[in-house]
Amino acid sequence: MFFILLKKELFVEFRSREVTLSMLVFGLSIILTFAFSSNVSPTIIANYAPGMFWIMVLFVAVIGVHRSFSYEKEFDAFSMLISAPIDRGFIFLSKWISGFIFLTIMEALIIIPFFKFLMIDFPSQPWIAIGTTMLINCAIMAIASLVSGIAMRARLSEVLLPVLLFPLVSPVIIAATKISGSIMAGDPFSFWQIWLLIVLTVIVIFGLVGYTLFDFIAEE
Amino acid sequence: MKIFLNNKTNRTWFVLIIAMMLFNVWNVIVNTPMVPEQHWAQKIFYVHVPSAWVGFLSYFVVMVAGIMFFIKKDDHWDDVGLAAAELGTVFMALVLITGPIWATPIWGKPWIWEPRLTTTLILFLIYIGYFMMRSFGGHVERVKRYAAALGIIAFVDVPIIFVSVKFWTPEIQSHPQVEMAQQPSGILTPFLLSLGIFTLLYTLMLTYKIHVIRIKNNVGSNV
Amino acid sequence: MPAVLTVSNISKSFDRRPILKDISFTLHQGETIVLMGKNGVGKSTLLRILARIMACDGGQISFQNKDLLKGSPCDRHKLLYLGHAPAMYTTLSAKENIKLALTLRGMTVGLSEIQNQLNYFGIGTQSNDPISIYSQGMLQRLKLAYAELVNWNLLLIDEPFSGLDTDGVGLVETALHRWKEIGKSLILVLHNQSRAKEFGDRILYIQNGSIE
Repeated sequence: MFFILLKKELFVEFRSREVTLSMLVFGLSIILTFAFSSNVSPTIIANYAPGMFWIMVLFVAVIGVHRSFSYEKEFDAFSMLISAPIDRGFIFLSKWISGFIFLTIMEALIIIPFFKFLMIDFPSQPWIAIGTTMLINCAIMAIASLVSGIAMRARLSEVLLPVLLFPLVSPVIIAATKISGSIMAGDPFSFWQIWLLIVLTVIVIFGLVGYTLFDFIAEE
Repeated sequence: MKIFLNNKTNRTWFVLIIAMMLFNVWNVIVNTPMVPEQHWAQKIFYVHVPSAWVGFLSYFVVMVAGIMFFIKKDDHWDDVGLAAAELGTVFMALVLITGPIWATPIWGKPWIWEPRLTTTLILFLIYIGYFMMRSFGGHVERVKRYAAALGIIAFVDVPIIFVSVKFWTPEIQSHPQVEMAQQPSGILTPFLLSLGIFTLLYTLMLTYKIHVIRIKNNVGSNV
Repeated sequence: MPAVLTVSNISKSFDRRPILKDISFTLHQGETIVLMGKNGVGKSTLLRILARIMACDGGQISFQNKDLLKGSPCDRHKLLYLGHAPAMYTTLSAKENIKLALTLRGMTVGLSEIQNQLNYFGIGTQSNDPISIYSQGMLQRLKLAYAELVNWNLLLIDEPFSGLDTDGVGLVETALHRWKEIGKSLILVLHNQSRAKEFGDRILYIQNGSIE
């Protein structure tokens, strides 16, 4: 059933391209703003780059999950999912994993403009950078999908979502900045393994909590 | 308050805890020894640390109430959750106010990204979102479930936040509370006493707050 | 006749204003209940609670002798809800939406069969267009085509005649009569007194949150 739901998320997105496109355009405009607002020496930018990147990803993730949950409200489509005889935890899982996929696609498209516009060098170990980035995406999306599930039916959901999400996601952002910073600087694994552990903890805990809680919060 | 105090047990507790609180203040000001380098500033820890303990305890109660609300589907647990969330936020605010008061003379600046203080700040921000949700989220029956879920998520996040903040700034000096256990009994005993009295005060406040929320809800449903 | 649905003491408030107060009734196999009442008395709310789309504040619902509120999601397999809104994705076509909704119910139905139903309900030519361009009446036809394909035992349907032209009204009437004949159970929300008498074995009037 999870794969049916995931397929639906991907198919709806394939049709409308609302989520990825809005994430991509928003991400590009953030990069542009960063580039204009930090017209300083490349070494300083290189130090701030991991932080900038994850700030951008966080903002973009908010746009993404918000869109992904708001199209469910058009024509009351969400009722199709929650009235169907399926475990509602799977709805959370499909939103989470699809959000993760969209975020990763968005990053894949935006990473070259990010490095080129801000004039930073690519990391020396690209595969490690890609692998860790994907894990972090997964952690961010776990929290974001859960919070969005809570906020989607609330009034002022577009305000509540970031207000609730940013403090909750702060450990992941700290870990993400540290991991990316270490990889960019070429530090050994022992320097940043603790941060990877934090990211994995978030994925496991929020995955389980989201799966369990979604049954209670999905109803109108 | 009047109705609350009509109950004899409540009345006894109320008087007893006020007396204990007054004793506690007197004890802290007069009886505790001065720490050489810190003078009066150190005394704020008899308030700061118990407030932090009670605040976290309160947020733990919010989580338990949230879980019970989902299991029992009983509004009683929503009242408990709301009461504990409000009190927890009051005590967390106290922590965030007393922390800088101590830090300004000792560290030379009001704010340092010390792990405990930072965790408190993040949790405080999550709960500001919680109350925004409670007030702007839509009609109360729906928001109850969201609030319960949020209370659970917030507390589950606490250890993760704490560990990450701790490793984020390893160079910041360890918190004086850690050293409390090694303090001479002249400091430790009144400190533990203050901790106990704050916990009792919290229990009374929670009972009272739940009582008030009940009355409010009853008035609301009769309109 | 065995009871299909037993509703006991369902209550629901919005901002502490009670909409439904201790609603209780029993629906037997093959029976049709029509819910009537003024706008805003909570007819749609009741249907959404029964379909488990909306949470209620208290009470029990038992469907085919299983607890609908606490039991497993599979227990509501034979229950279908059609609300005001189509509960379908605006960007997908009629065919894709029906296919998806059926898959979520664990059913595999061929696209040609779906097309046949859509043809019967008069929207076959637009079956590949996204439903965002559909009119109110077309969406109503779409919902009915979907209902024909699902193997339900209890159908909750909110104002089946709204937005339909004369042909459409005829199609709904035929469908309702056929479903009644083969012994399915229905709960309808209707506003028209004569139609209610025509289809309902029982009519429940909701007023001030209770059944009169």
